[in-house]
Amino acid sequence: MRHHAHHFASAEAEFEASKQGMWVFLVTEVLMFGGLLVGYGIFRNLYPEAFHEAHKHLAVSLGAINTVFLISSSVTMALAVTYTQMGKRVAASCSLIGTLTLAFSFLCVKYVEYSHKFHDGLLPAGYFTNTELKLPEAPLFFSLYFMTTGLHMLHVLIGMGLLIWILRRTWSGELSSGYCTPTELVGFYWHFVDLVWIFLFPLLYLVG
Amino acid sequence: MASHSSGPHLSVRSVLSLGGLLLVLTLVTVLVSFVDLGKLNFFVAALVAICKATIVLYFFMNLRHDSRDNAVIFLTSLVFLTIFFVLTSVDVFFRGDVKVKGAFFQAVASVTKKPWIKTPELVAHGKEQYAIQCAMCHGAVGAGNGPAAAALVPPPRDFTKPDGWKNGRKATMVFKTLKDGLAGSAMASYATLPEDDRWALAHYIISLGSEPPADTAEDFAVIGIDPNKEGSTVIKEPKITIRQAMALLQTSSSGGRLYTGSAEGQYGQLCASCHGDKGQGGIKVGQYGLYAVTKPFDRAMTEDAIIASIRGTAHRVTTLSQEELTALARFVQNAAKR
Ligand code: HEC
Ligand code: HEC
Repeated sequence: MRHHAHHFASAEAEFEASKQGMWVFLVTEVLMFGGLLVGYGIFRNLYPEAFHEAHKHLAVSLGAINTVFLISSSVTMALAVTYTQMGKRVAASCSLIGTLTLAFSFLCVKYVEYSHKFHDGLLPAGYFTNTELKLPEAPLFFSLYFMTTGLHMLHVLIGMGLLIWILRRTWSGELSSGYCTPTELVGFYWHFVDLVWIFLFPLLYLVG
Repeated sequence: MASHSSGPHLSVRSVLSLGGLLLVLTLVTVLVSFVDLGKLNFFVAALVAICKATIVLYFFMNLRHDSRDNAVIFLTSLVFLTIFFVLTSVDVFFRGDVKVKGAFFQAVASVTKKPWIKTPELVAHGKEQYAIQCAMCHGAVGAGNGPAAAALVPPPRDFTKPDGWKNGRKATMVFKTLKDGLAGSAMASYATLPEDDRWALAHYIISLGSEPPADTAEDFAVIGIDPNKEGSTVIKEPKITIRQAMALLQTSSSGGRLYTGSAEGQYGQLCASCHGDKGQGGIKVGQYGLYAVTKPFDRAMTEDAIIASIRGTAHRVTTLSQEELTALARFVQNAAKR
């Protein structure tokens, strides 16, 4: 078992403090995405027709596949935490690799989606060149689409970096039943990324 | 085992079954989105998303074994998000229009002096008002199926159909409905709305169905209006929506019928509505749901900066010639010094 830092009464207290820090961080994340979501909500109510027409240009199938990838990656992440706590090094590492693979698949699908949008000129504000969608506010939809999904994708990328870090430490046996705070906290972050997508997907792709 | 982990973690089995549940819920939202349930689609999607989020938070993020502090911390962020959304909505959806000033704007706004005559501007204005005031009961396209309609007996009128109207669907008759409401129903009186708004609403909702017969002299007599007199409805401060004002600015052609030749005249027609007669500012202006109170012109502004502002994203006036722009910029500079 690893020793706790001297300013904490116990390893328990140290873990609780780290976790609370994570929750506070997630609060700031909620508010960051929240700003964009509120913007989306307001503009969607101001220009319902334009947003409805524009949302038809998103591929529901790709969005749904990505939802499945992210949810599955949350499952493998939860498994990684469980296995680490049980001291199963190999199973935990495999779960982390599974999570990484699913995250990577998510990015591949996003790449396909984004390149379609670029090709069709469905781009934010002044870069919008699509001629099929004539409503003047349609570019606004795509501004919000790229900002929300882009910010989310950035989170996926950061999460993948963290996962690689955790994977290294799990494989070397550093993170195990005795001490696995980093695994749990990265897990929190990863579930949160999933949580954001749970709202983005219906909001952008389904209801429009 | 792990004495300082976040309580007993999930077993492999429960992780897998929760994952399965989440996938099933995803399938449900996707399938439901292909069925057209009107407004209900949104609520189903929201409900499923909230269920999924709760599962993730409660089990995967282990909120069920976490200290209550952490739950409170996290939920507080949602409370603030709600406050943010509500206040922003209230702000955006209840904003004023531009008061009409200057010959150029007056010429267009004068349509409201006989607001019972249908014009595209009035219909457009009615449409905006409708979305705010009426759509919750009468539905987004007037089919009588707004989100609040289900609970109402009698149900709201379907504007797309010609039958079932109690007062009738000529402009004067709808105007009367808006003035008095319909007794014994949820249709209240809208007499507090300015009269031109009420005419605009009447023109808009009539345009949702087939064209009704024209209003006769008797129809006007019922509501006590003499259709031959200009402004026999009292419109103290003609207003147009900011979007119309901006659109007008763009269509104003140089040397147009209203251009008096001087920069001052040009300013009076194009700019005074929003910046005040003397450039003193202090006027509430909204565009695309965003709004500002104009400031007095800044003395430090260079000619180029003023011209850039007139042609730039704030105004998008692209129809003025270079000489006119220069003249206007000088006028603005002088106004700023005074
Ligand atoms: C709270 C719900 C509600 C709101 C808001 C509402 N209405 Fe109605 N409206 C009704 C109901 C209910 C009826 C049917 C009443 C009846 O049949 O007696 C009705 C009927 C009408 C009629 C038919 C009159 C006739 O001759 O039969 C008109 C016109 C109308 N509404 C216009 C409007 C306009 C314009 C607005 C927005 C300013 C509006 N309503 C807002 C509920 C509403
Ligand atoms: C429909 C309303 C509207 C009209 C019409 C309008 N403006 Fe503006 N203008 C604004 C708003 C809003 C701002 C930004 C708020 C501010 O700076 O006062 C602005 C800003 C400016 C500024 C920058 C002020 C500063 O201090 O940075 C200049 C210069 C200006 N307008 C000149 C003009 C001129 C010249 C015209 C006529 C051709 C004109 N505007 C017509 C709404 C309007």
